[in-house]
Amino acid sequence: MTAIAARLTPPWWLRSNAGLIGVLVLIGAVSIVGATVSDRFLTLGNLLNVYEQTTDLALVSIGQTLTILSGGIDLSVGSLISLTSCLTSGLINGNPDRVLPVVAGVLALGTLVGMINAALVVALRVHPLIVTLGMGAILQGVTLLYALGPVGRVPRSFNVLAYGRIAGIPIGATVALTLCILIALLLRYLPLGRQIYALGDDANSARLVGLRRTRILMFVYGASGFCCAATGLYLAARFGVGQPYTGVNYTLASITPVVLGGTLLSGGRGGVIGTMFGAFLIALLNNLLNFMDVSKHYQLVAQAVIIILAVSIYVERRRME
Amino acid sequence: MSGSVEIASQVAPSWSVRTVMTRFGIAFALPLLLLLGGVMSPAFLSPGNLSNMLLQFAPLAIVAMGQCMVMIVRGLDLSVASMMATAAVIATGFSGADRDVASIVAMAMVVAMAAGLLNGFLVTKRQVSPFLATLATMILLQGFRFAYTQGAPSGNVPPFLRVLGSGKFHGVPYNALVLLLLAAVLGVVLHRSGFGRRIFIVGGNPVTGRLFGIRSDAVTIACYVISSCLAATAGLILSGYVGLVDNWVGQGYELDSIVACVVGRVSLRGGRGSILGALIGAAIIVILANEVLLLGIPIQAQLIIKGIVIVAAAAVYTRRDGS
Repeated sequence: MTAIAARLTPPWWLRSNAGLIGVLVLIGAVSIVGATVSDRFLTLGNLLNVYEQTTDLALVSIGQTLTILSGGIDLSVGSLISLTSCLTSGLINGNPDRVLPVVAGVLALGTLVGMINAALVVALRVHPLIVTLGMGAILQGVTLLYALGPVGRVPRSFNVLAYGRIAGIPIGATVALTLCILIALLLRYLPLGRQIYALGDDANSARLVGLRRTRILMFVYGASGFCCAATGLYLAARFGVGQPYTGVNYTLASITPVVLGGTLLSGGRGGVIGTMFGAFLIALLNNLLNFMDVSKHYQLVAQAVIIILAVSIYVERRRME
Repeated sequence: MSGSVEIASQVAPSWSVRTVMTRFGIAFALPLLLLLGGVMSPAFLSPGNLSNMLLQFAPLAIVAMGQCMVMIVRGLDLSVASMMATAAVIATGFSGADRDVASIVAMAMVVAMAAGLLNGFLVTKRQVSPFLATLATMILLQGFRFAYTQGAPSGNVPPFLRVLGSGKFHGVPYNALVLLLLAAVLGVVLHRSGFGRRIFIVGGNPVTGRLFGIRSDAVTIACYVISSCLAATAGLILSGYVGLVDNWVGQGYELDSIVACVVGRVSLRGGRGSILGALIGAAIIVILANEVLLLGIPIQAQLIIKGIVIVAAAAVYTRRDGS
């Protein structure tokens, strides 16, 4: 009987990467449609543009992947992005000398806010959904107390983060990709990485074998906060100014690439590489719809349909296991 | 263990002082908050201000009741705000005269039912997490709305809806009367009917429900449909209150309705909650928001207070349940 079961189960590379294969198939499908729509779609120049447009979503979603893998979720990302982007441009205020200290400070602040989320989850024993929802409201309030409209400005040199290219390769997106690879290695090879999966898969067993939940969550939510701060910096660089509502859509948008990349919302399964491809898929899809002259409004519909298709198909896989 | 005890306590509520305190203790926060407001400013307790608060209370309370039913079946409905805005856009989609009110209501309800069915279908038949399913529906509705209005909604809200949303009858807002009617019906359905009992059983433990021969999926789907329809109702009312429509009528109501339910002791884990709790939670939010204004605190601080309230309420309840 086990022999039959063994023969029926898909090979290991399919099993552990099924989500990844799904997103790659979707990317392939969008590419084929794109190639038939326009000759320029599959050119290197256009693909590099899409890669560049992936930056913000990729950055937030990498952190979000970690919180979801650990069995939680971070709903404070949008407000934290707004806050950090406002603080970046507000504190730099056009002065190139302040860039380095402010960037360091903003990244530290993001990490700290994430760690406070983790501390509240542990200390109050409240579901992360509620804690980060509350934290999101608090941070949005703080952001609006700091600035009711666009605030400050960043020096021209700071724009490099968003528009700069070295030998044609966009800098911002490459920073995101590097971060993604580092975290993927951490998840795969460091004990802490394995512990994140263990905690997300079965919190009770993780406790019984003596995993230190506090430490794991501190890392996971701290990393998510760090990623939000990085996104805030990127957006401040892109728009040249911080806006108090700039991050509002990212809270929910950050979850889409994670799910598209094959990470289960219930935790314990998935990875950041899939998320990176998920973010790329969304950027590619929007790019395709632009080529097809589809109005911005229908792009939302297309995105929702893709989400619904993806999550419905993945369920089949979960049942099979 | 807790599941079966839960069901028993819901089916046959005991009315000892202790159970009443644990279930509705939060209700005592209401008079305290009102008193606090009265001390801060005499204008707070004036009939005019109270009636205005009631006016703001009704739409939120209507949405919160739907959110409550979804939460009892272990769900979450993030699409309510999007549904409200969609209903509001529908309200201005016709000629703007009273003869179209019936068509508007019918149209809004059809869209709401479709959205609720989609939510319920994804959650039960495809086992998508409620968070994700309703998120997708939220984006879908938003997309259709933007595509329909091309980003710039125009048109007028019929006078009937305006009166319903902002008019008062001897100081009592009409929308509060609508709320009263809906609350009475839903209260009976949830707490006094066989269907309501099934909702609690499915929420307490879906497997037990199936063993009892309850069609868990149908019950869950019904809850999502009810929530969408209530959100659409609130959207129509709010469009009458605002008078003109943009694409974001009702923005923030998904957060507020969840906060209201958590404060009103509806459990995120399902199986526990009450219509009364949702109403009390919504009332607390409205009163707090009003007091923040009275104190002269910047209006942005409302968000901060909401955030603290939801986390604190959840923390207190977890501690008390000892889970």
